[in-house]
Amino acid sequence: MKKTILLLIATSLILPVSGMAQGSKPAPRKATGSRESQLKSQLSNALRMAQNGQYANAANNLFTLGRRPELAAERPQIKYILGTMLVELKLYQTAAFQFVDVIRMNNSKYSKMAIEKLSMVADILGDDTILNYAVSRVDVNDIPSGQKDMIYFRLGEIKARNREFAKAAELYSRVGLGSTYYFQALFNKGLAQLEEGNAPAGIDTFKRMVEARGNAPVTDVNKVEAQLALARALYQKQDWEASIEAYSQIPRDTVMWHDAVFEQSWAMLRAARFRSALSNFQTLHSAYYEDFYMPESLLLRAIVYLYICKYDEMEKVLNLFENTYGPVRTKIGDFIKSTNDANAYYLEVEKANIIKTTDKAANLRLPYIVVRNVMDQGDVKRSMHYLTRLNQEKRRVENSPSFRASALGQYSLKILANRSKNTKFAIGDMVKAHLLNMRVELRDLYEQAGFIRYEMINGRKETVKKKIAGKDLGDQIDDKVDRQFYIENGFQYYPFQGEFWLDEVGNYHYLGKQSCE
Amino acid sequence: MLKNGLKALIIIAAALLLHKTAFAVETVELPEEELAKESVLPVFDKSVSVKNRRVVTAKRWDGDVFYGMALTEPIYDVSKFGASLYYNFNENHAFGLMFAKYASGLSSYAKQLHDQYGLDYNRAPKPDMLLMGDYNLKVFYGKMSLTKSAVINTILYGSGALGMVKFQNKSYPAVAVGIGQKFFFTPQWALRFDLRLYANQAPIPFLSGKMTDGSSGSNPTTPPSYDDFDERLTYTTTLDIGLSYLF
Repeated sequence: MKKTILLLIATSLILPVSGMAQGSKPAPRKATGSRESQLKSQLSNALRMAQNGQYANAANNLFTLGRRPELAAERPQIKYILGTMLVELKLYQTAAFQFVDVIRMNNSKYSKMAIEKLSMVADILGDDTILNYAVSRVDVNDIPSGQKDMIYFRLGEIKARNREFAKAAELYSRVGLGSTYYFQALFNKGLAQLEEGNAPAGIDTFKRMVEARGNAPVTDVNKVEAQLALARALYQKQDWEASIEAYSQIPRDTVMWHDAVFEQSWAMLRAARFRSALSNFQTLHSAYYEDFYMPESLLLRAIVYLYICKYDEMEKVLNLFENTYGPVRTKIGDFIKSTNDANAYYLEVEKANIIKTTDKAANLRLPYIVVRNVMDQGDVKRSMHYLTRLNQEKRRVENSPSFRASALGQYSLKILANRSKNTKFAIGDMVKAHLLNMRVELRDLYEQAGFIRYEMINGRKETVKKKIAGKDLGDQIDDKVDRQFYIENGFQYYPFQGEFWLDEVGNYHYLGKQSCE
Repeated sequence: MLKNGLKALIIIAAALLLHKTAFAVETVELPEEELAKESVLPVFDKSVSVKNRRVVTAKRWDGDVFYGMALTEPIYDVSKFGASLYYNFNENHAFGLMFAKYASGLSSYAKQLHDQYGLDYNRAPKPDMLLMGDYNLKVFYGKMSLTKSAVINTILYGSGALGMVKFQNKSYPAVAVGIGQKFFFTPQWALRFDLRLYANQAPIPFLSGKMTDGSSGSNPTTPPSYDDFDERLTYTTTLDIGLSYLF
């Protein structure tokens, strides 16, 4: 990287001179010619500074020179080198603006180079807008081989977003084995194959990924994500037992484990392993999950109880669903109705982030479980990450008082402030979209809860009918003991009194049996 | 060894007393893959070891009555009886007042000395009362299940106390450090064990030529005045066993 910059600067030191030689037309005025040569000498000085590693000084001088109308012809070159200086200073967002300017100038030499640099900078920043802008203009043939994998990966992402899954999978396949993007590309390829409806291909891809990460630590993110994706793919293939087994391979000390437990419960229900599913619910509905938004899990539990004719427990779970998610639904609705400002939506995320990461309290208008769920959505997470990058860059500028006071420093702060503001608005819009989805989802789930309640009443009626008809319903495990005990707790190894321990989470077992005829 | 044995015996006896009639337990065969195979803990935003504590002590008073036994006392009666009242500021810190009244007799060893050599240690000033401010640092809240139908919560704590110990003739400042354990059989009631090391100035009960009362054939001597006894820094290890109620 450094070598390339030095070569570029060395070439640039010659260019102004040759530029002068080419422009051998008579100077209109002597004074103008002298000023121009002065400026070109300043430019040469700035480039020398850059060559000597004085990036901040060089960048400041280049920034000033880049605004001079006399150097309009050299502007693409100046801006491009300024951009590379800013990359060296880790001021990626400010650098991105220089590269965008160069691309817009449509200079035959520097535009292509700027696109390549912009792709790299956008990749570091993780900003979708810049990434799309850069990657959509890229001609892969112009990109050095070292950068091609990243471009294939990002192009694959764009295709996947446009729901062109076959093309996306093909682009992901081009990412080389040695690339840092390889495993992400492999994972995304599997997802694209699943989205295409090609579950067997997806399963093969994820198996390959799990095998490839065989020597990685147990909690390696790529390995665990691949394992989780494999379990999901097996579920999609309706291979319930294999899916359950794959889910059980997810290590407990990873954040993905919580999703795995819930999704495994679905697979267990489909495999008619009701007792096992209820064991998982003992964990998922423990106090450790009070901040988790999981309305579906309560309905799923009610359905399992329906299958094993535990109507009292079923009613308790349905009531819990209504008591918990009824107010949530109302609050989401009220918030959406009363709030239009995107910033207000963003502020909720910011406050929830304080609650999540510190012990401080924050006055949220939405329930914490809702905002926490929204914060975990991919697009919001990604934008929050971009915002963090912007803040880091801002700190870098502010930590150097001389640079901060310079014209470039002020320009940089202005750019960062604008980008931050716009990103916050964008996050606000994303939050609103997710809230609207949640409201719709809750409405649907409420309808389903109504159907489940109907089935519960029907089941009770049938049981009473059988009793009246004198049919022997058989011995039940809970015939001789207080029913309340089971309704509250399920059947445990010891009298469970509502106290949950971290080392017990995931180890609860439901020991009841079905109450059906 | 003996202490541990005694402790275990008390716990087991209490658990059996509280043992409820077992439910109609049916053996359920759990599939191999559902059994715990990892000793690692799940990851949450904030790692909290227990939720919905059964025994909540924060901002509550607890009152105790206890019996104390001095494990290293050679002369005086090893027993004392007391009561204490603590306020729990939160789940980690508590402070209280502890009062104890010492039994007035002598130890079995002192009685032996009297029978064999006529040494009457009733002539020495005996400890009478103890009043201390006691700080408890609750370091560990736990749970144990001795049977499948009873759960006992435990709190392990360190203690540091400062106060006065009153002898028959004089009062002395005293400090104590120790370690304690509470076993909660219900969210309110607990058995409390405290092992403390006391340090205080105290009269030395061995006064040459003035302790014989002539009962074993030796020459009787005039009982000394309490002021005749020298003083020294004395260390005493005690084990307190008590019953605690959380209000």
